[in-house]
Amino acid sequence: MIPPMGDFLNSLEQTTLASMVRGDTGLEWLFPQVEIVHVLALALVFGSILMVDLRLLGLNSRTSAVSRLSAEVLPWTWGAFAVAALSGGVLFISKAHTYFYNLPFRLKFLCMALAGINMLCFHFGDYRKVARWDLRSPPPVGARIAGLLSVLLWVGVIFCGRWIGFTT
Amino acid sequence: MVREWAGWIADTRLSHVFQEISWVIPVSQSMHIVCVAIVFASASMLGTRLLGFGASGRTVSQLVGSLIPWMYGALAVLLLTGLVQTIAEPLRQFVTPEFWWKMLMVICELLLTVWFARAVRRDPGRWDAAPTRPKGARLFAVVFVGLWVAIVVCGRLIGYTWSYYAWIFRFPAVHG
Repeated sequence: MIPPMGDFLNSLEQTTLASMVRGDTGLEWLFPQVEIVHVLALALVFGSILMVDLRLLGLNSRTSAVSRLSAEVLPWTWGAFAVAALSGGVLFISKAHTYFYNLPFRLKFLCMALAGINMLCFHFGDYRKVARWDLRSPPPVGARIAGLLSVLLWVGVIFCGRWIGFTT
Repeated sequence: MVREWAGWIADTRLSHVFQEISWVIPVSQSMHIVCVAIVFASASMLGTRLLGFGASGRTVSQLVGSLIPWMYGALAVLLLTGLVQTIAEPLRQFVTPEFWWKMLMVICELLLTVWFARAVRRDPGRWDAAPTRPKGARLFAVVFVGLWVAIVVCGRLIGYTWSYYAWIFRFPAVHG
C-alpha cells in the first residue's frame, strides 16, 4: 500500500537537514547558499544543453561533428545536473508541502519530464544514425525538431523555476 | 544622494508601468537567468579549455568563434533586462552593496571578454597551441570564470540582502 503523501512530505520536513535549511537552528543563510549553488548548477545544465541544441538547429558550431560536440558537452550537463538535483532536493525538503502543492513547481517538473522524453526519443531515433549526418548542418528534420523542443522546454523549466520564488 | 536618484527613477512613468504590470519583473528575471546560463556556461567552457581540460575536440579559436557571438548577444539581453529591473525597483538595487560590487565586476568582465576575443581573433595560432599560449592565459581563465561566479552570487544575494539594507538605512520599501 502506498503511504499517504502528507505523511511522506511531513517526514521529509522533519529531517535534521530540512530544519537546518529552513533556518530553525539559526543558520539563516543556509537556504540562500544552497540556492546559489542551485543557480550556478542550473546555468551550466541549461547553457551546455543549449550548445548542443543550437548545433542541432544549425545555428552554432556548424563545422563541429554532432557526436563529437555532444561527447564534449554531455559530461558538463550530467555533472551539473547532479549538483542541481541534489541542491534542489535539499531546498525541496525544507518546505516540502509548499513546493509539492505549488503550481509552477509542478509545471517545472512537467517541463523536465517532457524534456527527458524528448531526449530519449532523439537518442533512440535520429541519433542512432548520427554517423550519416554527423557533419551536416542543419541536420535532418527530426534532429532539428528535437533541438527546438529541448530549447523551449528548458526555457520553460527556468521560467517556472523563477515563478516558484514569486508564489511560495 | 542614492536615495534621491532612486526616488527620481521610481517616480518616472516608465517605472510606474513596470511596477504596475505584474509579469514584467518575473519575466525579466527569467530572461536574465536564461542569459546568465549562456554566458556562464560559455565562460566555463572557454576557461577550462585554456586550463587544459574540457572541450579538447576544438581549438581555443574555434571555441571563441562559436561561443563569443552568443555571449555578446546574451550580455546585451542581460544589460537590458537588468535595466528593466533597476528602473522598476531602483531602491532595491541602489541600497544593496552587492549590486554595486556586481556592477563593478560586470564592467571588468565586459572588458576582459572583449580583450580576450580580440586577442584570439588577431592571432589564433598563438592561442591554439599550448606551448605558444601567452603565459597569463591560465591566470586569465581563473579570473574570467571566478568573476562570473562572483557576479552570479552577488546577483542572487541582492534578492535576500536588500530588505536588510533598506531597514538599516531606514529607507521605505517601494513595494513588497
